[in-house]
Amino acid sequence: MKRFLTIILFMAIYLPGVMAQGNRDFMRETGKIYVVVGVILLIFVGIVAYLVRIERKLTKLEHQLKEEKQ
Amino acid sequence: MWWKSLSVVLIVYTILAGLLPPLKPGITRVAPESAHSGQVIRLQAYGYNSKYTGSDAKDIRFWLEYDSLHALAAQELRVLSDTCLEAVFTLPVRMPGTGQNAYLNAIIDHPKDGVSLLPGALELVQGDSAERVGADWGIGLVQDLHIIKDFTFPYRNVIYESIRNTYFHVPMWFALMFLFVASVINSVRYLRNGELEYDRRAAAYAETGLLFGVLGLVTGMLWANYAWGKPWSNDIKQLMTAVALLVYFAYFILRASFDEPEKGARLAAVYNVFAFASLVPLLYIIPRMFASLHPGATGNPAFGSQDLDNTMRLVFYPAILGWSLLGFWIAGLRIRYQRLEDKVLQIEV
Repeated sequence: MKRFLTIILFMAIYLPGVMAQGNRDFMRETGKIYVVVGVILLIFVGIVAYLVRIERKLTKLEHQLKEEKQ
Repeated sequence: MWWKSLSVVLIVYTILAGLLPPLKPGITRVAPESAHSGQVIRLQAYGYNSKYTGSDAKDIRFWLEYDSLHALAAQELRVLSDTCLEAVFTLPVRMPGTGQNAYLNAIIDHPKDGVSLLPGALELVQGDSAERVGADWGIGLVQDLHIIKDFTFPYRNVIYESIRNTYFHVPMWFALMFLFVASVINSVRYLRNGELEYDRRAAAYAETGLLFGVLGLVTGMLWANYAWGKPWSNDIKQLMTAVALLVYFAYFILRASFDEPEKGARLAAVYNVFAFASLVPLLYIIPRMFASLHPGATGNPAFGSQDLDNTMRLVFYPAILGWSLLGFWIAGLRIRYQRLEDKVLQIEV
């Protein structure tokens, strides 16, 4: 969870700087539409990260159950 | 379950209806940006999403507005392209009010595009020559505007297309609120009858709510970077939101720090009630008592008629419902996992 949080924070803070390099500011072009794309991506990545976390816990639980049966 | 499908349908609708409709035409800037009174200037206005060639130049009207009463009308108006208009203005020698300079609003009324406005477009500075052109301010010129009704979103300066973030960033906070309410209700239930199931639910709703809070904060920072200039400007809304989220982070630290689950659950439930009691002032009351960059900060609820028009409502309300239902769906998965884990652990003990 922490790692995912770091990735999300990194994306939000550093990505704009990376994108702004060069003469043109990619994010500010075409009426700042890429800000919306970025926001949707962040939400998607965040929700998937949380689902991955639940899945990992489930996998661990499944292993525990299997060991018990043996 | 039906509401899970509904959340998918609503989110798909939000993405499509939130991204596909265009913005209303707007004015991005005028050139030159400042002029002296008593001057005759040739002013170019640059449009956004505009189709100036769509109608005759004589049907297009262009004003420089001083206040709701005083305005100037364009004299010669030429359409250079879809996004560029050129007009001649004779600026009167005297200003209607006192003061050495004023910011005039540019207003363009187009029969097909409708009306568009750029506030503070031209800085008018009091010139020194007292006797030149004898033009004067027109009274009540700006009228009979064309209001076009179609499925478009409002054009706002600085924000531009990122107004669509309203359907993604804002519903995160609504989802957070609904989830935290569900969490505190379950905490109270747990305190009343001590069934572990209610504690599981309270924890899962709080965790999912926190996920949406973090997403809301991070998406807000990305948006702020392009609307306010930097991702974190220590704005009162940002600060208080961060505090509120930290209060909820502490809830999980508190839960985890007890060896006996029963004891931890009871204390966590009490803490949750207090955390919720602090959430409301932190998110909704304190930010309104100070100057803030965030919309809705100055006394009025966010998304009053100034921030949200009827077209946006058609997407915004379904978006809130869709994202909130998704939140409850994810929280449901979390509850079911916890139920399973508790069962397995009890077998082991």
